[in-house]
Amino acid sequence: MIYRLRHVTTYAYAHSVDLAAHLLLLTPRALPYQNVVRSTLAVTPTPSHVTEAADHFGNAATRIFIDVPHERFEVIAEALVEVRFPDPPSAALTPTWEDVVATAQRSEAAEFTFPSHLAPIVPAATGYAAASFPAGRPVLVGLLELMGRIRRDFTYKPGVTGNHTQVVEVLRDRRGVCQDFAHVMLAGLRGLGLPARYVSGYVRTRPQPGQVARRGADQSHAWVEAWMGEGFGWVGLDPTNDIVTRDEHVVLAWGRDFIDVSPLSGVILGGGDHRLRVGVDLEEAEASASA
Amino acid sequence: MADLGVVPPIDEMVDGRGGVRAHWRQLLGIMGGMGEGALANRAKRLDRAFEDEGIAGVLPGAKRDAAWRCDPLPMLLPAAEFAALEAGIVQRARLLEAVLADLYGPQDLLSEGLVPPELVFANPGFLRACRSKGAAPVQPLLHLYAVDLVRGPDGYWRVLADRTSAPAGAGMARENRRLLGRVMPEAFRGAQVRSMRPFFDLWQDALQRLAPPEVGDPAVALLTRGTQAPRWFEDMMLSRELSCALVECGDLTVRGGVLYLKTLQGLQRVDVLLSRVDGARLDPLEMSGSATSGVPGLLDAARNGAVRILNAPGAALAEAPALAAFLPALARRLLGEPLALPSVETLWLGTEGAAARIAREDGWLLRRATDGSMPAAAHADATARDAAATPAAFVAARVPPASLVPCVMEGGLEPRPLVLRMFAIFDGSDWRVMPGGLARIGESGPLGGALPPQGLSKDVWVIADEGGDIIGPAPAHLPPLPIRRMHGALPSRVADNLFWLGRYTERLERAARLVRATQTRISRGVVLPREAAEVAALARCLAHAGFTGADEVAGSAAAQGLPSVIALALREDGAVMHLADRIAALTAMVRDRLTADMYATFTLTLRAARAEMQAAGDNLEAISRAMIAVLRFATAVAGVAAESMVRGGAWLFLDLGRRVERAQAIASEVGFALDGPPSRIEGGLRLMLELCDSVITYRSRYLTVLQPAPALDLVLADGSNPRALAFQLEAISRSLSEVATAEDGALPDEAASLLADAEAMVAELVEASDQAIAAAGLPPRLEAMANRIAALSDAVTRRYFALLPAAQTLGLEGAQPALRGAA
Repeated sequence: MIYRLRHVTTYAYAHSVDLAAHLLLLTPRALPYQNVVRSTLAVTPTPSHVTEAADHFGNAATRIFIDVPHERFEVIAEALVEVRFPDPPSAALTPTWEDVVATAQRSEAAEFTFPSHLAPIVPAATGYAAASFPAGRPVLVGLLELMGRIRRDFTYKPGVTGNHTQVVEVLRDRRGVCQDFAHVMLAGLRGLGLPARYVSGYVRTRPQPGQVARRGADQSHAWVEAWMGEGFGWVGLDPTNDIVTRDEHVVLAWGRDFIDVSPLSGVILGGGDHRLRVGVDLEEAEASASA
Repeated sequence: MADLGVVPPIDEMVDGRGGVRAHWRQLLGIMGGMGEGALANRAKRLDRAFEDEGIAGVLPGAKRDAAWRCDPLPMLLPAAEFAALEAGIVQRARLLEAVLADLYGPQDLLSEGLVPPELVFANPGFLRACRSKGAAPVQPLLHLYAVDLVRGPDGYWRVLADRTSAPAGAGMARENRRLLGRVMPEAFRGAQVRSMRPFFDLWQDALQRLAPPEVGDPAVALLTRGTQAPRWFEDMMLSRELSCALVECGDLTVRGGVLYLKTLQGLQRVDVLLSRVDGARLDPLEMSGSATSGVPGLLDAARNGAVRILNAPGAALAEAPALAAFLPALARRLLGEPLALPSVETLWLGTEGAAARIAREDGWLLRRATDGSMPAAAHADATARDAAATPAAFVAARVPPASLVPCVMEGGLEPRPLVLRMFAIFDGSDWRVMPGGLARIGESGPLGGALPPQGLSKDVWVIADEGGDIIGPAPAHLPPLPIRRMHGALPSRVADNLFWLGRYTERLERAARLVRATQTRISRGVVLPREAAEVAALARCLAHAGFTGADEVAGSAAAQGLPSVIALALREDGAVMHLADRIAALTAMVRDRLTADMYATFTLTLRAARAEMQAAGDNLEAISRAMIAVLRFATAVAGVAAESMVRGGAWLFLDLGRRVERAQAIASEVGFALDGPPSRIEGGLRLMLELCDSVITYRSRYLTVLQPAPALDLVLADGSNPRALAFQLEAISRSLSEVATAEDGALPDEAASLLADAEAMVAELVEASDQAIAAAGLPPRLEAMANRIAALSDAVTRRYFALLPAAQTLGLEGAQPALRGAA
């Protein structure tokens, strides 16, 4: 599937900003199953300095510095991305979750077994996840069940949680948005010793014919990738929509939790209060665009 | 092994059979010749020397800071022993550099299983912002390395802790040597003590060499955590020793990918940053944290090679105590050599069977796996519980009983356990070890890791072999410096502090003069009728100067009321004492701009004045003495500034502050003095001359006839009288012209215009038909002038001390859901 992506972020400041430095993780990651045909970032006002470098996780990070006073800051990220993630393996044939735990420390996934600020190891999350992982269960069977439970047990409700909402609060109130559900799932899996990482990206704006509209469209989206053991690799799991990622998601970046992959962060001098507007479109590209 | 704890420690000075070790004999001979009680006396003098230098932080007003002391007896290391340690330290530094380069680069050590992932990914010292996947880190990551060593009963030194982040103590070691040389010069005679000076010369040279390659004349700055940080004095010392600018994060800015220092003359490029700031606090753009700390874009500039940060942020990773358990294998893998200087025996409890082993055996000390500090013995039980719950977060170490070294204590020499901190620097091709170090003396139990704010230390002497290696440094090949007579890089923050130091010092002096003038008029307990108007004017001056309650005292009650008003102002929370405290704090903040003598003059005289004020109570005579002490302080500051400070940026702003304050005070006080009926003008003139310290000058010019025009000419318009308004305004105008650039001529112009006004006032008075009436009409004009001077001061502050708008972070904050960029 080929998508045309357009993500517009606009800050309007009450006062002039004299100096600004921003870290952008807004360029889709090139992956074996995600071909970034092209990708552009347009920034207003024009930065005085721009650098690009992979971050620790291999995400494409762009740092921009603005020296001119400005009251409005806008980033337009556009990309043409072709995605087709392979179907996950047959769940029953994946290794037992205990085997995955046992091999995780010596694997490339080791980093994602450790707690992080927004996906900590807490008894409430570990206990919640443990119900899906009885002894000897193949790991993907447990993962799919856990994803489904989160979709059913939690209410999707924008505006009640923030960027730094902790998983214990989400588990207590049973509501939140995609970021919160991803953190709950990550915290639970890491509590069991299973490696899992936070993925930031987008889900298609308009559903495919015959499908329901996906939650988390029209904005940045977040989900989870879990590791299934050597030879099985990672599987993308979207607990907000209870789907395995195949061809409806575009991956921007991954990290331990939201803090590692916030699409746009920064430090400004001045500015006072500010208003933020974010608009995201992920549309199927015309056949001609893919040519 | 289990009873290792009961093996007695060895003594550094005395061998097992009661004899004195060979390398100690000469020193002990000298000490013996010094006579009874000499050592205790030297210990006291050493303490005093540390206080006077400000190392002990006993500023008047400031609380007695925790301080390091230095024992007069040095710790001695024979040449051969130093050589062995030197080789081991260099190897260890090379090894840790290689470990860091791998962990911030390809991370092969993780995939090969030589370093467990916990020690990296669960280590707060691992800064992900400092690693770019697929790219090698900029090397070297380590430039300054310190190691804490302990010598066990077997005589071997072992490493207790590696310090790789921003190791403290090198400056303290240098200071110990300097002051010991001053207090005990005879001890150095005869002893072939290797000098430390060459090491610091090499260090200075190394910083230049490590600059980004394309830089011709690299600018080096030492980044300190600030004047309030515990290591501030050492940072200042080190910046002088290494001839580099001393800066704080707020002094720096990144523009166009390049690091700059904000100075009065604009932005000046910085090429090498010797950082004493925790890596995680260097750049708020890269690391979530407070926007007010760090320099946004600093890591980006470093990543792109525009500036070299030393040690590299993230180097704290190598301080993890658990790493010690893996170093022997890492040395073989990375260097192809066995580890020459091993750590104390260490077990990482994440290793299978380790927890069971330490439960079985005695003598293991638990430490956090990734945090370099040593646990307090008192918390042993809590630590053991935590370790049982999360074993991978802990290590166990067997620390042998540390060797003992004699220290000067109350009751004579007493043996105390010793931890030796040694230092090495990398100059781009080689590691160099300081021939000396910092011996830390413990009361009991092991020391290691971060230096506490206080403690007892010793100088460390490396005794050279006969005719040995006391060789000067290889001359540093620096291009000849161009002659500069400019102000150099005076950070705006420092100029601000100097300006206010000048203002407050003058303000304190004015307060003392007011108190003295008041005191002479009320000391008899009654106010003479002809002085009543003067006392009333003084009460207004005192109120204006912040003496609470002075404006409520009136008429004949003044003699009874004013003493308590003055006593109140001298109390701990009073206006005058508060000024003294502000001055003390500002003196500490500009300490790096003052020579040691200047600093001593400032603080000793202020301390004396403060002590007199505290002792004065409400005794008028004692208060008067205290005010003389205050005037002595102000005179000392003025004298030292005039005689010892180069007429550059620092002096200029100190003087500017003083002139602005004095000009404002003259205008106000003359206005108060003249504010009365024309018939009483004479009293006002007398008071005015006294407050402006111009009585003698007036008398020498006009004898005893007191008339308004000559008197006002002397205090307002006479540019040759340093107590006159005109003198201040001329000086202000001159100073402002000197720092002003082409576009901001407005400030010197305003000073010149004020001067013209002052001259006009006197000229009108000379022409007036009745001078007394004309003089009595001046107060409103003088008040307006005082207000204009205050406005000028504000304009200077805005122009030169650039109050930047507050920084804030975007995109990661929790409190503002409106900002969230994600669903």
